[in-house]
Amino acid sequence: MKQLSTRAKWAWAFITIVVIVYALLPVLSIFATSFKLPSQLNLGTFWPKTWTWTNYEEILSPNGSAQTLFLSSLRNSVGICLIATAIAVVLATLAAYAIARLDFPGKRIVLLTALGVSVFPVVSIVTPLFNLWRQIGLYDTWLGLIIPYLSLTLPISIWTLAAFFRQIPWELEQAAQVDGATTWQAFRKAIVPLAAPGVFTTALIAFFIAWNDFVYGISLTSTDAARPVPAALAFFTGASQFEEPTGSISAAAIIVTIPVVILVLLFQRQIVSGLTQGAVKG
Amino acid sequence: MRRRSRALALVVGFAVAAPLAACASEGSGPPTLTWYINPDDGGQATIAKQCTESSGGAYSLEVSVLPRDASAQREQLARRLAASDSSIDIMSLDPPFIPEMAEPGFLAPVPDDVAEKVTQNVVAGALAGAKWHDKLVTVPFWANTQLLWYRKSVATAAGLDPAKTPVTWDQIITAAKDQGKYLGVQGTKAESLTVWINALIASGGGEIIQNPEAPAEDIKLGLDSPAGKAAATIMGTIGRDGTGGPALPTEDEGGSLSIFQGDKGSFMVNWPFVWSATKAGVEDGTFPQSLLDDFGWALYPRVDAAQETAPPYGGINLGVGAFSKHVDLAYQAAECIVTPEHQAQYFATNGNPPSNTTSYDDPAVKEAFPMADVIRQSLELAVPRPQTPYYNEVSSGLQQTWHPPSSVKPETTPKESNDLITAVLRGEQLL
Amino acid sequence: MTTASAGAGAVQAQVPGGPAPDLRDAAARAGRSDRAKSEARLGWLLAGPAFVVMLAVTLYPIIQAFIDSLYHYRLTAPEDKRWAGLSNYIVVLSDPVFLQALLVTLFITVVTVVIELFFGFALALVMHRAIKSLRGLLRTAILVPYGIITVVSAFAWFYAFDINSGYINHWFNWVPGISEDLNWFASQGTSLFVIICSEVWKTTPFISLLLLAGLSQVPTELEEAAEVDGATWWQRLTRVVLPNMKAAIMVAVLFRALDAFRIFDNVFIMTNGANGTEVLSLLAYRTSIGRLEIGLGSAISVILFLCVILICFVAIKLFKVDLAGGSRGAS
Repeated sequence: MKQLSTRAKWAWAFITIVVIVYALLPVLSIFATSFKLPSQLNLGTFWPKTWTWTNYEEILSPNGSAQTLFLSSLRNSVGICLIATAIAVVLATLAAYAIARLDFPGKRIVLLTALGVSVFPVVSIVTPLFNLWRQIGLYDTWLGLIIPYLSLTLPISIWTLAAFFRQIPWELEQAAQVDGATTWQAFRKAIVPLAAPGVFTTALIAFFIAWNDFVYGISLTSTDAARPVPAALAFFTGASQFEEPTGSISAAAIIVTIPVVILVLLFQRQIVSGLTQGAVKG
Repeated sequence: MRRRSRALALVVGFAVAAPLAACASEGSGPPTLTWYINPDDGGQATIAKQCTESSGGAYSLEVSVLPRDASAQREQLARRLAASDSSIDIMSLDPPFIPEMAEPGFLAPVPDDVAEKVTQNVVAGALAGAKWHDKLVTVPFWANTQLLWYRKSVATAAGLDPAKTPVTWDQIITAAKDQGKYLGVQGTKAESLTVWINALIASGGGEIIQNPEAPAEDIKLGLDSPAGKAAATIMGTIGRDGTGGPALPTEDEGGSLSIFQGDKGSFMVNWPFVWSATKAGVEDGTFPQSLLDDFGWALYPRVDAAQETAPPYGGINLGVGAFSKHVDLAYQAAECIVTPEHQAQYFATNGNPPSNTTSYDDPAVKEAFPMADVIRQSLELAVPRPQTPYYNEVSSGLQQTWHPPSSVKPETTPKESNDLITAVLRGEQLL
Repeated sequence: MTTASAGAGAVQAQVPGGPAPDLRDAAARAGRSDRAKSEARLGWLLAGPAFVVMLAVTLYPIIQAFIDSLYHYRLTAPEDKRWAGLSNYIVVLSDPVFLQALLVTLFITVVTVVIELFFGFALALVMHRAIKSLRGLLRTAILVPYGIITVVSAFAWFYAFDINSGYINHWFNWVPGISEDLNWFASQGTSLFVIICSEVWKTTPFISLLLLAGLSQVPTELEEAAEVDGATWWQRLTRVVLPNMKAAIMVAVLFRALDAFRIFDNVFIMTNGANGTEVLSLLAYRTSIGRLEIGLGSAISVILFLCVILICFVAIKLFKVDLAGGSRGAS
């Protein structure tokens, strides 16, 4: 490896700073806003003049005006997204296994369907779903969001997992069997440890996508029973209905962004490999 | 990895179990009534608690919050009611949307005895807004109206005393322009723009819809009229000559207030929340007391000096869902919510004025809102926005054609909006 | 952002992975059809549930939308539902509001994809070339916008530019045209600028990861050989690197374009369609969910769906041509 010249070092430092500023400035901006006093929102400065927890109290403390709204939406978002992710990953694991290991007619169709579903305009589906949901009682329920979320999480899960599974050296399984292990043992001991990271990464990516949804969230819910966080953000209010809820929205935005940042910090390598996997030769 | 997935399973398990547990608790105890409320500062939730306690175990009243935006509130409720949702017991309704809910029978009829009790001492505008086809369909709760707020220093400099002598739009436009200040009006493309248009047209003696109870195809609009043109002249002037300030095309009630509080503040039309919001700013040290002392208030400006003004009318009425399992209890709860004591308490704590005139005599009200009498007077003059089941189309059509304010021209805008709304109501055009 | 990540795998759609070698070996001549049959059965047994679910959540609704679009149907007046034939489509297609929304959507799509392609490629190069110690940091930073909720991004950009609560006007008041009095959300051009900023910020990381995957596919020997031959950096980029990652670029462009075409969240939060910023998704939403005009709204939904199909069709046609051209160039 050749030694970096001083100039190259400076260049890399500069590039790194530019990238970090690009990635974090908007986050920092809303972070700063979340600590501004409601009456000082319009001073036109980046940082707050007086730092305050008021906005966080509004959404977290028991007598905050948006507490029930925010906490219930947080519970809904976490629950709905986890379930939708889990179902998608289970179904996708089965499908991806078949795609990677078996030769069957229609394999291409499954993959192309996944591709087609992933580019489907969400708004096109939402009206008929809304109409159907209100007739069969799924409107404003968890299940009523979990089902459409599958249209978001399933295709990507199939693609990512199929790419992962293609890389697994399946001969190991046979080798283990030759060594006297039963089929199940061979699968568990040899294949599961290899497949698990791929499944986990897929679950992460699928979760991000479900977590991001807005259209289904505002169209198919109407109460605390199922309303997810992105939809709830549009419902916040200031001290009266005419005052801008800028502070509370920013505070809530920061709270829902923290888990994202933590997951990204912990699993950046896996996420990047998951997202690029399919394109790298399997 | 395995530990992680177990933790995941736990979280999933909890997430699934939590709502189930919530369901299980239902069934025992008094029936739970759900009250869909517009967002406020917690006042409606407090009233709900008080009513639950005073009901002696007859019902338990819980609130569920609707979106902030008035038309989004309507959207949510209409969607649920169209789904014959039995979970809507009581809802806080913005008056313009009441006909759309009443026409298809989404609102349970008001029992006669309740109707008699809840209509006593109610201001005229609130009563009119609670009716559809001359029948009471909702219970009047609170009533809102806009006042003209002014900085005393600016008004004095312009030689005006709006509290004594009613002022016209032309006067305040000139006064603001001469002193290089901005006028606070709501020019953003939202319901508040419709509020402004309606108040201007009504103050000029016109009306947006001539026959609001007609079916969609037969609705006749009154926009292309002298009153419509006068309204367009005022709005266009404010938009074009810069008196509205650069924020005008995106300015909502909160935006108007922040301009009014600043160096460029002069005159502003706005709801009474501006008083409590500014007071809160003074208390936390953001604004000096002198700012609050500079606040003056008067009736909404006139369009024509010789004609009484017609201020905007807003507020909330309570509707009872037609598909509710507990209609009787819901009306019982609604009666409790709108008692004059609750209305006075709501005004004092949340700044939303009562529809019941007796509430204005409450000392707590006078203390919190020195301008309570002007508000009551304004409510008596206030003119509601058109009451039609197609209000959403009418309002969106107005916002489409009268925005941004700088594009509004008396020769073309009223006619354009007349044509657009007519075409939309006939299903010939999109919005 | 949503599901476009599936595009990461799309390169392979051209060349679906063949059967695993061990299976091919095992397919002895005798009993071949039995074996194939049972494998096919198992394959469908495993892939079937996912396949059925995917169809159920998309195919059924779009068919229903098509049926609904043939009626005059308003949710708050259900008894007035009546046959409309194609008249909803005629109303939509002949309306300037629709045309305007279509043009704005196309404009946003083209501009964001072009910017993101350049910007994303630069980011991919940075990640690809970065020294080991910086790689983790850079990736983490880039993944933050990827993971953030679009609505949060929209609010962040909106508050920063807003004439009341924003600070951008203070920071950049030395730029001609920007002053304290500039209201970004009061006119079409400036509103679209902020909307596009938020969209680009949030989705560039994704496109850069797709391009990073493409970059790592370029054989290093080729690049090194070119370097030995004295090719400049620019020559290596345009003659060696880019031709070798044509497929990855096309996939990235197609998926981002289709994703950008569905733009909704940013517009909804920032302008809600004011000042001529309405996009197709928002128009469909406002009509069917807002006005509860299910018939008209469904017609817009179906048209939106057809637009996506059309874009796919055109892109894949072009894509194939390009692929062939690319391979000819390489051989």
